[in-house]
Amino acid sequence: MKSFFSFCKKELLENYRTYRFIVLLAIFAVFGLMNPIVAKIIPELLTTVDLGGITVEVPEPAAIDSWMQFFKNIGQMGLLVLVIVFCGITAADLSKGTLINILTKGMKRHTVIYSKFTIAALLWTVSYLLSLIITYVYTVYYWGSHDLPYAFLAFSAPLVFGYFLISLMILGGICFKSLYGSLITTGGIVILMNLLGIFPKLGKYNPVSLSGGTLELLNGQKVPGDFIPAVIICLILTVSCIIGATLLFDRKQL
Amino acid sequence: MDILCIEHLLKSFRESEVIKGISLSVPEGSVYGFIGENGAGKTTTMKIILGLLKPDGGKVTVCNETVRFGMTATNRHIGYLPDVPEFYNYMRPKEYLRFCGEIAGLTDSSIGKRSDYLLDVVGLKKTDKKIGGFSRGMKQRLGVASALINSPKLLICDEPTSALDPVGRKEVLDILGQIRGKTTVIFSTHILSDVERICDHAAVLHNGKIVLDGTLSELKAKHKKDSLFIDFLSVSDKALFCEKLPREFSGNIEANEADLILHSGNLQAMEKTVLQILSQNDIMPRRFEILAPTIENLFLEAVQ
Repeated sequence: MKSFFSFCKKELLENYRTYRFIVLLAIFAVFGLMNPIVAKIIPELLTTVDLGGITVEVPEPAAIDSWMQFFKNIGQMGLLVLVIVFCGITAADLSKGTLINILTKGMKRHTVIYSKFTIAALLWTVSYLLSLIITYVYTVYYWGSHDLPYAFLAFSAPLVFGYFLISLMILGGICFKSLYGSLITTGGIVILMNLLGIFPKLGKYNPVSLSGGTLELLNGQKVPGDFIPAVIICLILTVSCIIGATLLFDRKQL
Repeated sequence: MDILCIEHLLKSFRESEVIKGISLSVPEGSVYGFIGENGAGKTTTMKIILGLLKPDGGKVTVCNETVRFGMTATNRHIGYLPDVPEFYNYMRPKEYLRFCGEIAGLTDSSIGKRSDYLLDVVGLKKTDKKIGGFSRGMKQRLGVASALINSPKLLICDEPTSALDPVGRKEVLDILGQIRGKTTVIFSTHILSDVERICDHAAVLHNGKIVLDGTLSELKAKHKKDSLFIDFLSVSDKALFCEKLPREFSGNIEANEADLILHSGNLQAMEKTVLQILSQNDIMPRRFEILAPTIENLFLEAVQ
């Protein structure tokens, strides 16, 4: 357990000193700010554009528009940033050889995986919550307090999908010992899940629906039952990726 | 007691057989030179000892505990210095040693004491910059410190001097010399002068097999050949000498331009004859020397 915490401490220091954590926080803070502002400004911008006599009826912006921006930004750019920041999470340590020194000190191989996942998931959670809180505060500031049905499930979903992406990056890094291996594994699985989207019946089991789809809980178009199976599958896949990575790492020749 | 025992070790990578049945034992307290050309299988053997690679056959025991691939239990007895140690560039040396100490399960106070002591030994006590700005020699010295943080019974160094300049090489060898007696050291290299300088035991690995093994003095005694080196002032002197040399000694000669090496089973008789010929014919050699076997000769002989 002591080596788990030591390695977590090392991971935190690494994310801090290589500016990864700062970059992540800054980008997610900007997303948080942009969501309500863009929702507020775009309709006003549209009304000022001269469209040659065509009148565009723009509905009055509402709090839900701000949340629409939130799910759009987090579900696309946010997850992309997460992948870019953490794609080298295991690959760099393995390919550079820095891990050899540590493993030959008696550190158990699976502890490396658990620590790396814990810290990446922690940083992702903090960044995500920062974005969420900023968006919430500004949305309330512009439109006053408003109802957010099934908020816990709606806002947990992208977080859970982020955990899944982290576990995929770890698994990919262990499999291929390279940054590209990690990226291709993650990208490949996400593309595959998006392709499965052509079967509407599979929608409620497909984890990719958690990357932004839960907006429809807030606007009342869907109910929790439409997402809960995907959440469960996503969690199972995350745990499987982590267990798979530890089993594979134990058998990997270094 | 033997601190490390290797029995009939086998290892192949795809088609190529790298280790073909190595057996050796390293006695406690020795400085063991593990000699071999590039690609002879030195690093592979070391990685198997550390449980980083899976052997195809054979058994390795460290302090009487069997090494198991993928498991790190036996590594608590071992300190390892890779040929090019890689560190976390954003850390400072003291932070890195603290991290290594924590991983090795040391207490807080002993980490502090031990890292201060080791940084002093390797000459990095006053260095507080990040490891990213270190030279190769400094990294190697930090590598030695990190390998020794858990006071291992066995220190395994993989070509610790081959990438260094003469100053860096001397520093690392001096450090290894300092820990002699406290820690058993296995030291792989292809720089033979380093072996002569610090090792008391040596094994030569060639084509995946141990072709020579023993204490340095044993090896030298076993492979001792009575040889005489004579360097003449001119080629004509050498020609005259060869002409006068009796048949019993002229059969085993290695001749160069103006010098030659004579081999014989009876050094004294050969010396007497040679000196007589030289004085009778007024030949004044530039140099006259009895050759002792060097590690280099032993190595070349073993791998030929």
